[in-house]
Amino acid sequence: MNRRLFWKLCIVIAVGSVGLFWIIARVAWQTEERMSFIDAEHQRTLRHYGEQAESLYRGGDHQTLERWLNTLQQQEQTWAAVVQAEVRPLVGELSPRFLEGFGLGRDVSWKIHLYFAENPIMDIPFSDRSASFLIQLPQRMRPGLNWHYAKLLLQLVVPLVLLLIVCLVLYRHLMQPLRRLEQATRQFSDGRYDVRVRSLLGSRNDELASLADTFDAMAERTGQLIIDQRQRLADMSHELRTPLTRIEMAVSLAEQGADSRVLLERIRDDCNGMRQLVEDALTLSWLENERPQLRDEILDLTELLDSILDDARFEYPDRRLLAHLPGQAVLAGSSHRALGQAIENVVRNALDHTPPGGVVEVDLQADEQAWQLLIRDQGPGVDEQWLERIFQPFFRVGSERAGYGLGLALAQRQIRATGGSILASNREGGGLQMTICLPQQPNGQS
Amino acid sequence: MSASLARILIIEDDRTLCAQLGELLRGQGYATSSSNLGEAGLGMAISDAPDLVLLDVLLPDLNGFSVLRRLREHQQTPVIMLTACGAEEERIRGLRHGADDYLPKPFNITELQLRIDAVLRRTRMTDSVRPADVQQLQVDELRLERHAQRVTVNEREVSFTPIQFRVLWHLVSHRGEALSKPYLYRTVLERDYSSYDRSLDMHISRIRRLLGEAGLATDRLQTLHGRGYVFQ
Repeated sequence: MNRRLFWKLCIVIAVGSVGLFWIIARVAWQTEERMSFIDAEHQRTLRHYGEQAESLYRGGDHQTLERWLNTLQQQEQTWAAVVQAEVRPLVGELSPRFLEGFGLGRDVSWKIHLYFAENPIMDIPFSDRSASFLIQLPQRMRPGLNWHYAKLLLQLVVPLVLLLIVCLVLYRHLMQPLRRLEQATRQFSDGRYDVRVRSLLGSRNDELASLADTFDAMAERTGQLIIDQRQRLADMSHELRTPLTRIEMAVSLAEQGADSRVLLERIRDDCNGMRQLVEDALTLSWLENERPQLRDEILDLTELLDSILDDARFEYPDRRLLAHLPGQAVLAGSSHRALGQAIENVVRNALDHTPPGGVVEVDLQADEQAWQLLIRDQGPGVDEQWLERIFQPFFRVGSERAGYGLGLALAQRQIRATGGSILASNREGGGLQMTICLPQQPNGQS
Repeated sequence: MSASLARILIIEDDRTLCAQLGELLRGQGYATSSSNLGEAGLGMAISDAPDLVLLDVLLPDLNGFSVLRRLREHQQTPVIMLTACGAEEERIRGLRHGADDYLPKPFNITELQLRIDAVLRRTRMTDSVRPADVQQLQVDELRLERHAQRVTVNEREVSFTPIQFRVLWHLVSHRGEALSKPYLYRTVLERDYSSYDRSLDMHISRIRRLLGEAGLATDRLQTLHGRGYVFQ
């Protein structure tokens, strides 16, 4: 996955272009080679001229030969002659190799230098090699007349077209996922929070795919956050409506002259309820949005529980609170504010759901790595399928009036912020058991 | 001199809340003045030199923190900020900028009064140096020696941390008098009290346990829910 796009580009651009130019050079060279030879038919014609010249020469009629030669020169618009050349060594000897290769002009089967403007002299020796028919290659027989165009095509047009195609392919390869991303971003900003990109990119597995993964993760979290916040706002408004209605009723009753002492008491209760709700909602959204780590304190759980249970006993004088706490329970890397509020909410919740006269048990035990805090109530318990959802804000079981509000949601997030966890389960004999697990050794400030 | 407990300046842009606060505080025996604007309020704070300022953070013309900063350039009048953030977030972000205390909205008059008391009590305490400090306290079998920070019950020493000692010393020296949490936080823990702060409660729990183990009746140190603590 690392730098796949880089390697892709390397292969396409660097290796590809070097390869392309190598092939073009080779093809150009081969083409030139192939185009340098005189056409077979013209070779035959030239040889035929040679044979004609030889037979006329052998016939001894030099005038006929001259006439023929003149006609041929006019016809082919070139120069031609029958010549005899004798090579006499002045010093040294003539080697057979030299005699074999010696000619007055070029053999018709040889290549022509296409880059010479002048046409070469062709040498067609008589069969006994006594004389030669020489002719400057007629222009009509010159090979490689298209050589310049072919060169232009091979050296400019072909690489240009090929590179343009490569650019196009690369562009599409890069732009296709980017365009998908752009579309997705636009859709997301239009409010389609379920839009995802990665699955549209197929088996692709490069930097752009990882960008798509990142986008998807962002869309997942942001979308969920927006949906949650909307739901939260709706729930909040709903939760505030009831106490507000009660307050309005109380005010109206007071205006009608009802006992204002009772009514004021009720208004105060409702105000406290709303205030708690607003405060909890603020803390909850802070915990969720900033995900703070609240782990910079060393505290004694026994002291903390003592103070919480003391308050709870005062608040619920008609329930019994049984506590089994060790004399000391030191916990490092925590926060007594977050943890205290969380435990307070869980204990209060347990007391709320326990009928008057009932018992709520609070046990603190140590195992090897963690403190286990068990809070058991004698309430109706929670249907197995809802055991996890009671930690969601404003969760209600069915249409039950007394919901869990924000208390447990807040508790769960606060416990998490201190590195712990909370789990709900049903007791065998009925009632709910909350297990709060608080690791004794904080595993780093992650 | 007026017969009021203290003169309080309220700088709060919501006129209704401002008027209600003034009325409630006058009902409690304070003299109040008020301003709905930061600039004007700052002027009043400097010219009138009130004993305490209640300052809203969100003001239409001037941010409450700016008011506080400029006020501090002139004088050390105690200031309680009224904020609208969650208490824990507020505490962690440390948005206090040198206020003497802060109180998140919504709050009720009891809470406000406890805070005002605590702040005023502390500033007045530092104003007038307390004469001839007591060095020893003895209540029945409990004995506290200030210099040695020693606590004994029936001549048996009980081990206390310095903070636990200070808490107990304060409660015992004000025996029978309810000491509020904001006050104890100010004077003993030397910091502000915010809701959900249980440091003091935890110290009290430990002190109670220690005294109980040493044989002292645990109901000597009582929790007055919503009000504070008292040593009987």
